[in-house]
Amino acid sequence: MQTRIISLLVEDHPGVLTRMSGMFTMRGINITSLTVSPCEKNGLSRMTVAIKGTESELEKVRKQISNLIEVVKVVDLKADEAIIRDLCLLKVHTKDSGMRLEVMLLVESYGAKIMDATLDSVIIELTEEPKKIDRFVDLMQHFGVKQLFRTGLTAIGRD
Amino acid sequence: MARVKLSGAEIVVEELKDEGVEVAFGIPGGVLLDLYDALYKEDAIRHILMRHEQCAAHAADGYARVSGRTGVCIATSGPGATNLVTGLANANMDSAPVVALTGQVVTSAIGTNAFQEASTFTITMPVTKHNFLVKRTEDLPKVIHNAFYIASTGRKGVVLIDLPKDVLADVAKVNLHTKETFAGYKPNIKPNIVQTKKTAEVLANAERPLILAGGGIISSDATEELRSLAELLGACVVTTLMGKGAIPENHPLCLGMAGMHGHLCANRAINECDALLALGTRFSDRLTAWQLDQFAPDATVIHVDIDAAEINKNLPVDIPIVGDVKLALADILKWLAKQKKMGDKSVWLQRVKEMHTTCEDCIKDVRRAGTSLSDMFIKELSLLLDGDAIVTTEVGQCQMFAAHYYMTKEPRTFISSGGLGTMGFGFPAAIGAKVAVPDKKVVDIAGDGSFLMTCQDLATCVENDIPVVVCILNNRYLGMVRQWQELFYDKKYSHTGLGATPDFVKLAEAFGCYGERVEKPEDLKDVLNSAFESGKPAVIDMIVGSDDKILPMIPPGGGIIGMIGTERCKHV
Ligand SMILES: Cc1cc2nc3c(=O)[nH]c(=O)nc-3n(C[C@H](O)[C@H](O)[C@H](O)COP(=O)(O)OP(=O)(O)OC[C@H]3O[C@@H](n4cnc5c(N)ncnc54)[C@H](O)[C@@H]3O)c2cc1C
Ligand SMILES: Cc1ncc(C[n+]2csc(CCOP(=O)(O)OP(=O)(O)O)c2C)c(N)n1
Repeated sequence: MQTRIISLLVEDHPGVLTRMSGMFTMRGINITSLTVSPCEKNGLSRMTVAIKGTESELEKVRKQISNLIEVVKVVDLKADEAIIRDLCLLKVHTKDSGMRLEVMLLVESYGAKIMDATLDSVIIELTEEPKKIDRFVDLMQHFGVKQLFRTGLTAIGRD
Repeated sequence: MARVKLSGAEIVVEELKDEGVEVAFGIPGGVLLDLYDALYKEDAIRHILMRHEQCAAHAADGYARVSGRTGVCIATSGPGATNLVTGLANANMDSAPVVALTGQVVTSAIGTNAFQEASTFTITMPVTKHNFLVKRTEDLPKVIHNAFYIASTGRKGVVLIDLPKDVLADVAKVNLHTKETFAGYKPNIKPNIVQTKKTAEVLANAERPLILAGGGIISSDATEELRSLAELLGACVVTTLMGKGAIPENHPLCLGMAGMHGHLCANRAINECDALLALGTRFSDRLTAWQLDQFAPDATVIHVDIDAAEINKNLPVDIPIVGDVKLALADILKWLAKQKKMGDKSVWLQRVKEMHTTCEDCIKDVRRAGTSLSDMFIKELSLLLDGDAIVTTEVGQCQMFAAHYYMTKEPRTFISSGGLGTMGFGFPAAIGAKVAVPDKKVVDIAGDGSFLMTCQDLATCVENDIPVVVCILNNRYLGMVRQWQELFYDKKYSHTGLGATPDFVKLAEAFGCYGERVEKPEDLKDVLNSAFESGKPAVIDMIVGSDDKILPMIPPGGGIIGMIGTERCKHV
């Protein structure tokens, strides 16, 4: 099993997302992350899909995606040739000032930001590579993660 | 084209005419009143009122396969659209070009469980090549043009357009007949010349070349090129079910259909060849069977397909060629002409000749000892029609008897539900076929079970003067399932007996059709002649044995050389 990131330019029509996800469902492929956003071209959207599967499964899916009428462009993004980012918002327990201090130190060393704080919790934002976020979240579990939100990854190819 | 002010319904009709649509099969309903109102005034489009939407889709499908043009079917919202679904899935599985128009509730009511609302757009997404839900009247010209463009190019298929009532009723100023297409749709057609050159070398050097002709040969009208290549090369040709008709089956190089229910010789040849050129076929499991190591084990496999997603999907190939098979064949022929050295194919040609003759003798031996009434009736029918007809089939044993013993001479004359295996397909497909080529004899080879699924459309035939002939292999059973129960489930015939089947002769007569029963294959000639001479739609009830079996076959889990029931075959 491996993860592959596919970046797509798609027509900005209602139903495109349904068609895309239906295609994965039909072929029994698991999507680990899917993001949709506007892009530099009018009338088109960008989708970044991370899927898990065997090499041959992934290759089959890539061809099927290319077949969809509303898909204008398909690009395979290899991890070492792309900048990959995920955004994470966390609400972490900080029962006392000692804990709060520790959390703040970690936040700083990871390049994260405190977005809000109450007496017993802080809200943290971190935009990073998915793996780094995983590690940060693991650390925060130690203090107690009340809520976790991740946007899913987006990626851009280097020239 | 200048801007014009028209209602959505009028735009639809104008665009259909511009796409060359001459006939549509459909059933109206509340949300389609505007469209049918526009059709009422229209002489250029013949509308045939069907008695079930599934039949409308099958008829459009049959029309498309026979004529090579895009078939059109129409259904109303909700139940009309859901009734259509089986027919759409069927056509799409077999890559037949069909455009379906469905009515939808007014846009403001979508999603409210309005009367006769169903989410046709989401329901049909997985069974179409593409579909549209039109939200604005002014979008209609582009959508309709692209529906036809997408359905009829690349790997052909079904496109559905869902039309809300207000979109049809509203008036808009539009430019008709736009040729604007979608950036993401570029049907891949030109094959790579490096690959076609390599192919020519492999084929020239091969000693035992075999061409596997699939449905893509027929849909791309590449039969001439196929034949030239086979003859130039000295390659034998086997077909899939969908490829039947790609080469005249009495051609000395043709070994007939391969696969689970294929000819013994065709399967043998696949196992023995040293170069396999697969043309427009998707290597379905019914073709390859389950033991892939028996499928062309010694061969260099070349696969030509217009759909890149089919390459390496079911069978690993040595030389992939993505592109239109007609163009690829032209290239391969061109490269072959430049080849100086050819492998010695004389031993193979001798073997192919032997195999062809054995098979042909069997098929011509109409009353061969030890064969069943079903065998005999279809062989007799094949002899009587002599390839000069269009044969459609239902699904089951009847279909496989037809595939096995009905000899085609031309492409687009054998129409069968291959991928979906839809019982009830053959008869409405025959209606579409007869509408496409009214001068040809059209015969549906049916099973009693299948025919009962769509026989209400006899009314359509009578009303519209569409004289197709239904020949039922009446075995009082869901025969194919019964055959599996007999062979693989200890003869426990669980719910396959049809019990009190109707009197098909009286059923035909009740509709105003010609009906006749025949119990002996030798009597078929007269009955068939009377049926054709009656000029009416006809039902011929051929009584056959309940335990007739279509053999040989590859048992579940078996491979291409593991056929059972070969006792009746002369071994070669
Ligand atoms: C009861 C039953 C038994 C069956 N038994 C058998 C059997 O024994 N043997 C058998 O073969 N089938 C059998 N079938 C049918 C089987 O299920 C498949 O439908 C059939 O094998 C598919 O044939 P195909 O791949 O040639 O055609 P299709 O399914 O029509 O595929 C066509 C292929 O050609 C490609 N193509 C289309 N246009 C072009 C073009 N212009 N250029 C290049 N490529 C193109 C398409 O992309 C596709 O890959 C049976 C079906 C039933 C219901
Ligand atoms: C719509 C549909 N339902 C069920 C099946 C499963 N099935 C395949 S063959 C068959 C029996 C067909 O019986 P009949 O039409 O009498 O033909 P026979 O096999 O007896 O020639 C059945 C039920 C099917 N293919 N299609």
